[in-house]
Amino acid sequence: MKQRLTIPRIVPWLFLAPALLLLGTFALFPLLRGAWWSLTNADLLRTDAAVWTGAANYSELLSDPRFRRAFFNTACFALMVVPVQATLAFFLALWVNRPERYWRWLRTAFFLPIIVSMPVLAVLWTMLYQPLRGGQTGLINALIGSIGLPAQEWLQQPHLALPAIAFMSVWQGVGFQMMIFLAGLQSLSRAQLEAARIDGAGAFQRLRHVILPAMRPSIIFVMTATLILSFRLFAQPYLMTRGGPEDATLSIIQFIYETTFLGRELGRASAGAMLFLLLVAGLALLQRAFAREVRS
Amino acid sequence: MKRIAGWLVAVVVALGFLLPLLWMLHASFRPESAIFTGGLKSLFDFRGLHLEHYVAAWRRAAMGIGLLNSLLQVAGILGLGLLFNSMAAFALARFDFPGRAGLFALVIVLIILPVEVLVVPLLLTVRDLGLVGGHGRTLAALVLPFAVKAFNIYFLRQHFLALPRDLEEAAIMDGAGPFRIYWSVGLPAIRPALATVLVLDMLTHWSDFIWPLVICTREETRTVQIALSNLFTQPPIQWGDILACAVMTTLPVLVVFRLAQRHIVASQLTAGIK
Repeated sequence: MKQRLTIPRIVPWLFLAPALLLLGTFALFPLLRGAWWSLTNADLLRTDAAVWTGAANYSELLSDPRFRRAFFNTACFALMVVPVQATLAFFLALWVNRPERYWRWLRTAFFLPIIVSMPVLAVLWTMLYQPLRGGQTGLINALIGSIGLPAQEWLQQPHLALPAIAFMSVWQGVGFQMMIFLAGLQSLSRAQLEAARIDGAGAFQRLRHVILPAMRPSIIFVMTATLILSFRLFAQPYLMTRGGPEDATLSIIQFIYETTFLGRELGRASAGAMLFLLLVAGLALLQRAFAREVRS
Repeated sequence: MKRIAGWLVAVVVALGFLLPLLWMLHASFRPESAIFTGGLKSLFDFRGLHLEHYVAAWRRAAMGIGLLNSLLQVAGILGLGLLFNSMAAFALARFDFPGRAGLFALVIVLIILPVEVLVVPLLLTVRDLGLVGGHGRTLAALVLPFAVKAFNIYFLRQHFLALPRDLEEAAIMDGAGPFRIYWSVGLPAIRPALATVLVLDMLTHWSDFIWPLVICTREETRTVQIALSNLFTQPPIQWGDILACAVMTTLPVLVVFRLAQRHIVASQLTAGIK
């Protein structure tokens, strides 16, 4: 006989109360305030004097060359990071997918930069990218110098700064994507792979006809999750280049941050934040659509 | 022979991958004037290594108080989060009540809300609530907005749903109430999921940057990340001190991760796929 717990109607709400209270106060309420300010000319220091301006902030932003630049930079960053990181992570996962316990250290090695915080790594890579000054230079220039290439001003050149930050970000995040692929690989049935091997399928054919199709959900998850993460770019350029040189590494988030705290234009900054939210929500919907397509 | 070659390749690739971190550790002990000299060979140069950068960084960046602030911040978020998220998840998984579907939909929507969107209105909200300035207030402002996390509620709910009902039925027969069932049957049964959430949240919040950047306005309320970024941006720039500060910022989380590593089950990470 099934035992059902009969509980007073208030009980579920008691369980939910702390979470609802905090989410309401610190997520929903600020979100609504931000949405409201985005439609006004609010000033950071005098929010109560805000006057309704409709969609003016939005139309101004969309034609603001600096906001467009920030969007362009962030999109470029995402386009550099996502494919490279996912491909690298995939092959790393294939490589470190070994059942023996004594191979574990290799996974840990690739996972290590995830544990180190982004501000630490941003500071560290600024030093690694240090340009040549009076005979002294960072490790990167020293390394490429040892194979005969000229030293570069990685973070001081507009065309090199964003790729340099993207390279460092790929290095930082590849271990996490590798772990997700690894989980996917481990759920792949050994019997299937063995059968393909017995049928005489080579390594490439096994990859193409057995591994890749089975890994589709993981691949889609990694690509879309990395895409969203890359659009949230902030700490690296903020610390390494301050968004420069010549706005070459200005990210969307830094644009919003500066508009708020340097320009005090709360309304404009809020509109920027809402546009950013729209972008992230769009990407998340894309992710769900892909995931659904894979399941069916 | 082939095995040895495989090992050698793995060791060389791993060392190359970790080169930046090895360089950071080594350079933090080198004399200031030698940090940007010698290239790769400098890693094998052990002359004149000293601890002075650590002493100076500890004092200049107020690392003692910074580490304490970060520790309290992460402990607060993890502790409150563990309780509040799992309670909400349990209610969504196990109780039938009007409005449940709507609440669950809200949780799903909130998962995608990035902190960067909230920073500015959250700062003004926190200010309106009087949570700025001193130590306790800043700590509350660091912890309270991020203790409850929609993804964790969703994630833990999935794990509660997967539990067999028999466990609870036995407890109900013994006369246990809903809170007893949650506390002594539900929570222990999803321990692996709780451990995953704790480890991932620890990594996330130890690295928190943009929120502490706007909220920690006084030296005595700074987290380690803000202490580091101040050392890095405010002259005079002492590279050795910055490196020592970076190493000290990393060590605690590295130690905790090493201890908790066996609780990270790779398969847990993929819960988001389904």
